[in-house]
Amino acid sequence: MTATATPALKKSSLFGKEELKVIKDPLWDSNPIAFQILGICSSLAVTTRLDKALVMGIGVTLVTALSNVMISCIRNFIPNKIRIIVQLVIVSGVVIVFDQFLRAYMFDLSKQLSVFVGLIITNCIVMGRLEAYAMGNPPWRSFLDGIGNGLGYLWILAVVGSIREIFGSGKLLGMQVVPQSMYDAGYVNNGLMVLAPGAFLLLGVIVWIQRSISGYSEK
Amino acid sequence: MNTSSNGYVMGFAIGVCVIISAALAVTANSLKPIQDEAAEFDRQKNVMVAAGLVETGDTRSADVLKKLYVDRVQEAVVNTKSGEVLTGKSAKDAAQMNKDAAAADPSDKGAANRFRVVATTKGADGKIEAVVLPISGKGLWSTIYGYLALEGDLEKVRGVTFYKHGETPGLGGECENPVWCAQWKGKSIRGEGKKLVGIEVKKGKVDPTIPYDKAHRVDGLSGSTITCNGINRFVLADLTAFEGYLATLKN
Repeated sequence: MTATATPALKKSSLFGKEELKVIKDPLWDSNPIAFQILGICSSLAVTTRLDKALVMGIGVTLVTALSNVMISCIRNFIPNKIRIIVQLVIVSGVVIVFDQFLRAYMFDLSKQLSVFVGLIITNCIVMGRLEAYAMGNPPWRSFLDGIGNGLGYLWILAVVGSIREIFGSGKLLGMQVVPQSMYDAGYVNNGLMVLAPGAFLLLGVIVWIQRSISGYSEK
Repeated sequence: MNTSSNGYVMGFAIGVCVIISAALAVTANSLKPIQDEAAEFDRQKNVMVAAGLVETGDTRSADVLKKLYVDRVQEAVVNTKSGEVLTGKSAKDAAQMNKDAAAADPSDKGAANRFRVVATTKGADGKIEAVVLPISGKGLWSTIYGYLALEGDLEKVRGVTFYKHGETPGLGGECENPVWCAQWKGKSIRGEGKKLVGIEVKKGKVDPTIPYDKAHRVDGLSGSTITCNGINRFVLADLTAFEGYLATLKN
């Protein structure tokens, strides 16, 4: 048995109270970005436009969920000595498959996301969930946990992405939302929003708001 | 079962690797045709961007753009040694002819890239509007592929794109940035006495008070000296290779 495996939780249903909690918690209370401060690097890099942020969020959600399931299925067979590297191999495999699909069906986006798709492998959220949850819980719950954490990451990316795209380039999903009349009246796009520091400031503000609402404070 | 014995650990590691690699091989292989098609469409789009037919990030559907390419762009294979245009040859033929030429004379270094595909667009008056030349060469990490389009006068740059490369994102990778590429527009590849000088990526900013800067240089990309040097080198080398073809066009 692995060291991290805990005794299976009591009877499990498809969408019982426990399951709902698993998927809801990471959306707000234990949000991977706002609460655990994981995955910051990629959330700075891919949020200049909403479509990039969404594709990246979906990617992380799929990768976390799928690798959670796979690891959870074989969790009792993984030798403890090499568990991290086994997790890495599986995560990398899933990420490469996702990258291949992007290249086939969304070529432009895959070019723009460039290295950041590959870097999902090193996204702390994925490894964090494998180590903290999938190694000790049955596949279905691990799947929900992966989906929950992925969505928790996705919605913050989407918020940051929308704000950056609207204020940085006056567009949303590539469509002009700031009317030409405002530019004529002297409005200028905020250049800071296009650059990474803009995302950093925004993320800070979001973490602040999230924490003041959820009442969390550093001990 | 003793999961911490050395034999088990080895067996498990090998098993995981074999299964994952098999899965990856199957996915990569089955998606290859679709990926190739997407890459080819991307290439066509870049030809049109260089020629000024579409803008980067054009939101029109793929079908519309593909039709536009067929309607407006004529591809032709050029023999860069003699400058003659070969009719009725496709990009595939060109690749084969290069292979044959290189095999026929291994000592001839230029042979492997002798037959190249160029594209032209014509204006409403039937005159050549843009000549799109393929350019490629080594940057820092990778071979950079791009297109350089010349105006009908065969001197002024009409547009440039770099569409395939493996340079560092944010540094050398910025060569694909449309804002940077827009600077190339209107620069001239020929200096005094119509001598070919190419376009030079300057280290630092272009000083518009220096006539040479204004005519032939563009701003450097900070943090990517080697990428920029590479671009300077292969743009000039490729333009030199196309000299014969450009002369044929002029007459």
